[in-house]
Amino acid sequence: MLKEALNDKQVVLGSALILFMFCVAILAPIIATHDPCETNLSPEVKLQPPSREHLFGTDDLGRDLYSRMVYGARISLTVGLVAVAIMLLIGVVIGAIAGYFGGVVDTVIMRIVEAILCFPSIFLILMILAFLGPSIINVMVVIGLTSWPGVCRLVRAEFLSLRERDYVVAARALGASHRRIIFRHILPNALAPVFVSATLSVGSAILTESALSFLGLGVQIPTPSWGNILTTGRFYIESAWWMTLIPGLAILITVLSYNLVGEGLRAVLDPRLKR
Amino acid sequence: MRYRHFKKRNKRRTKSSLKTPQLIGVASFFILSLTFFGTSLLAQNDRPVGDAYVSGGIGDARVLIPFLADDSASGSICGLVFNGLTKTDKDLNVVGDLAKKWQVSKGGKVITFELHKGVMWHDGEPLTAEDVKFTYDALMDPKNNCPYTASYSDIEEIEVLGSHKIRFVYKEPYAPALLKLGMGIIPRHILEGENLRKSAFKRKPVGSGPYIFEKWKTDEYIILKSNPDYFEHRPYVDRYVARVIPDQAVQYLELITGGIDTMGLTPYQYRYRTDTARFKEKFDRYNYLSHGYTYIGYNLADPLFADRRVREALSYAVDKKEIIEGVLFGLGEVCTGPFLKGSPYYSVDAAGYDYDPEKAKELLKEAGWSDTDGDGVIDKDGNPFKFKLITNQGNKVREDVATLVQRQWSQLGIEVEIQIIAWASFIDQFVDKKNFQALILGWSLPTDPDCYNVWHSEASKKGGLNFISYKNREVDGLIEEGRREFDTKKRAKTYKRIHEIIAGEAPYTFLFFPYATPAVSKRFHGIEPAPAGIGHNFIDWYVTPDERRYTW
Repeated sequence: MLKEALNDKQVVLGSALILFMFCVAILAPIIATHDPCETNLSPEVKLQPPSREHLFGTDDLGRDLYSRMVYGARISLTVGLVAVAIMLLIGVVIGAIAGYFGGVVDTVIMRIVEAILCFPSIFLILMILAFLGPSIINVMVVIGLTSWPGVCRLVRAEFLSLRERDYVVAARALGASHRRIIFRHILPNALAPVFVSATLSVGSAILTESALSFLGLGVQIPTPSWGNILTTGRFYIESAWWMTLIPGLAILITVLSYNLVGEGLRAVLDPRLKR
Repeated sequence: MRYRHFKKRNKRRTKSSLKTPQLIGVASFFILSLTFFGTSLLAQNDRPVGDAYVSGGIGDARVLIPFLADDSASGSICGLVFNGLTKTDKDLNVVGDLAKKWQVSKGGKVITFELHKGVMWHDGEPLTAEDVKFTYDALMDPKNNCPYTASYSDIEEIEVLGSHKIRFVYKEPYAPALLKLGMGIIPRHILEGENLRKSAFKRKPVGSGPYIFEKWKTDEYIILKSNPDYFEHRPYVDRYVARVIPDQAVQYLELITGGIDTMGLTPYQYRYRTDTARFKEKFDRYNYLSHGYTYIGYNLADPLFADRRVREALSYAVDKKEIIEGVLFGLGEVCTGPFLKGSPYYSVDAAGYDYDPEKAKELLKEAGWSDTDGDGVIDKDGNPFKFKLITNQGNKVREDVATLVQRQWSQLGIEVEIQIIAWASFIDQFVDKKNFQALILGWSLPTDPDCYNVWHSEASKKGGLNFISYKNREVDGLIEEGRREFDTKKRAKTYKRIHEIIAGEAPYTFLFFPYATPAVSKRFHGIEPAPAGIGHNFIDWYVTPDERRYTW
C-alpha cells in the first residue's frame, strides 16, 4: 500500500511540501533571521518591501515578516495536528462504540451526532470561543471538539460491516472481551478511511485556525500566526502587498498539500477508484 | 396651533413610511429604499432637506438613555435624540439648549431656568419643567445605577415653578453645574414608574432633539430621521444612519466605495492613504487634537500593582514618543494627566515619565522584584511578575500599543499576556466588573475639569467609572474643592494639583492625546471646524439636490 501510495504523484508532492513545512517549523529558531517579535518603528525599517535583509519585507511595527512566517508555521501545524488528534480520539472511540454495540447505544449516539452536525461548525466554534476566551489552546480544543462527528460516522459505518466478519465472530467465540475485539481486531481494519479523513481534516483545521486568528479569536498578538499576520496585512493591502500575499500563499500551499495527500491516499485505498 | 398642525402631518408621514421597506440589504453595501418623502422640502434659509448621513463606528450603542449611556456610540446617538437644559457651543462655552435663559443666585447655590415654550416630544406631547425634574430625580435614583450621579449629588432640591420654569437648589455652590445640567432630558409621561434599566425605552427612545429615533438593528445600524418640528429648525440632512463596522480597514473600504459617508481615519490612513488628490476630490479631511486621551490603567485592587514604585517603573518603561511617532505617525501628543492639554487645568510640572528603562529597573529592584530563579522573569516572594493586558478589538492603535508595551516591559523581565476582546464583552465582562489586571482604554474629556466620576474614591463603587479603584484622600478633597470654586484661576490651581498628585502616583500610564482625523464626504456642506470639533452644527449641514445619494 505504501509503495502504491508513493507511486502517486499527488501524494509525493503533498508529502514533500508537508515535510518541508515541518522542517521549517521545527527549525524555526535556526532559520529565522530575526526575533519575530522585535519591533522597530523607524521609518527606514517598517513596512519595507522584501529585500536581502528582510526576505519577505517588514510589517507595520518593523518586524521581520520572514521570521514571523517561520514561527507562524509552528502554530499552524501544531493546531492542525493537535486538533485532529483530539478529533480522532473522540470520533474513533465513540464511532467504534456505536458501530460495535449497535441497537439503542447506536441510535442515541447517532442522534447526538446528527444534532451536532446541524450547526455549521464555524458558528459553533465562534460561540464556544466567545465563552472560553481566545487562546491557542482553546482553539485547538474547540476545533477538535466540533469536528469529530464526521470521523465518528465513518468509523461506525466500518464497524457495522466489520463486526459481522468471521474473524470477529471467531474472536467472540474464543471469549475475547469487547475491548479486545474493538481495539485489536476491528479497529486496525477500519483505519484506512479514518487515515484519509484525518489527513484532509488537518488541512481544514489549519484553515479554521487561520480564520479564527484573522477574526482575532485565535492566537493572541504578538505571537505570530499566519492568520493574524494576514489580519494586520489587510490594513496595508494597497501599499504593502507582501503582508497579505505571503501568509495567504503559505496557508494555501499547506492546506493544498494536505488535501493532495488525503485525496491521493483515498484513491489508493479505495478499490473502486483503482486504475 | 402651529405645532399641532405639524404634528398631524408628521403622524401621517410616519404611518405611511412604515409601509415602505426601510432597509433592503446590508451585506456589503447599503441600499436605501426609494420612496419619495420630503425630498423637495425647503427649510429656513433655503437649505434643501434630504439625503442621509451614514457614519461608520466600531461599537454598537448600548443604551439610549442619556444618563445611563457611558460609551461614545450611545452618547452620540443620545446627543441627536435628546436635549439638555444647556449645551456647549462650537467654542465650548455653555449656552442654553432647552433653557431660554437662566439666573444664578445665592452665590451659585440657586439656578433658575426658564425653558423654551412649544418644545414637543417626538410623540407630540409638550416638554415641560416636570420632565426636567423627572429626569434628574431618576438620574439620582440609586435603583438606576447611573454612572454620573456624582455630578449631581449636591443638588438639594429641584422645584418646578411653572410649566416652563424650574429651580435647582444646591447644598454647596457647584462650579460645573451649568455644564452638567446639559444631561439629556427624558419624557416623564412615558417613563414614570418604569424600571429604566429594563424598559423598552432604552432601545426605542422618544426624545425632543433634532432627530427622531426610527430603527435599531443590533450590531448593524441605528437609523434616525430628522425632526420636522424641531424647535431650532428642521435638520437639513434627512436621515442619520449609524452603522456598526467593527473594523477600521473595512470601514475604510466602505468609505471609499460609498457605503459610509464618514469615519475616523486611522493615523496611517490619514498620512499615507488619503493624502491623494483622488481621495480629496470626494472627501474632506479634518485634523484636530481630540478631547480625550489613551492610557494604560492598572487595577489597583490587584496586589501586583499596589506598590507605587512598580507602577512608576511600568510607566518609565513605556516609550510614549516612539508610540506617537511609530503608531500614530506623529498624529498625537504626549499626555501626562487627566485634563485637556492646553487647558488652564493641565499642569506642565506633572511627572511625565520620559522613557527611562534604567530607572524602571532600579525602581523594580527597590520594590523587591528581581530575577532570583534565572528564568528571565522577575519575581518576588516566589511569585513571578506576570499579568494580562486587555484591550478592545477593532482599534488597531490600541493593539499596536499593546504589542509595543509588552515588548518594552519584557525587557524589565515582566511577562505580559495580551488579550483582545470584542467591545461589548470587554465593557460588560471585564471593565464594569473590574475583572482585569491592566487595560488599554481611552477617556473622552468634557469641557469642565471636574473628574469626580473617574478619580474620586466614591466612584470606585459598583457602577462608577473609577474601575481601577484609585483612592487618594487628598485628591478626593481637591476634587470636592474644585467643584465649589467658581474662580477660574483658583480652580486651575486646584486641578493642576490634582494632575500632579495623580501623575505622581501613576495609577495609569498616561499615553497620548490622539488627533481626531475624521473624513467626511464632500457632498455635505456647512461644516465648520471649531474647538468643539466638526459635529457641533450637524443640524446645519446640508446636501444640494444634485449631490443627493439617498432619497425617501
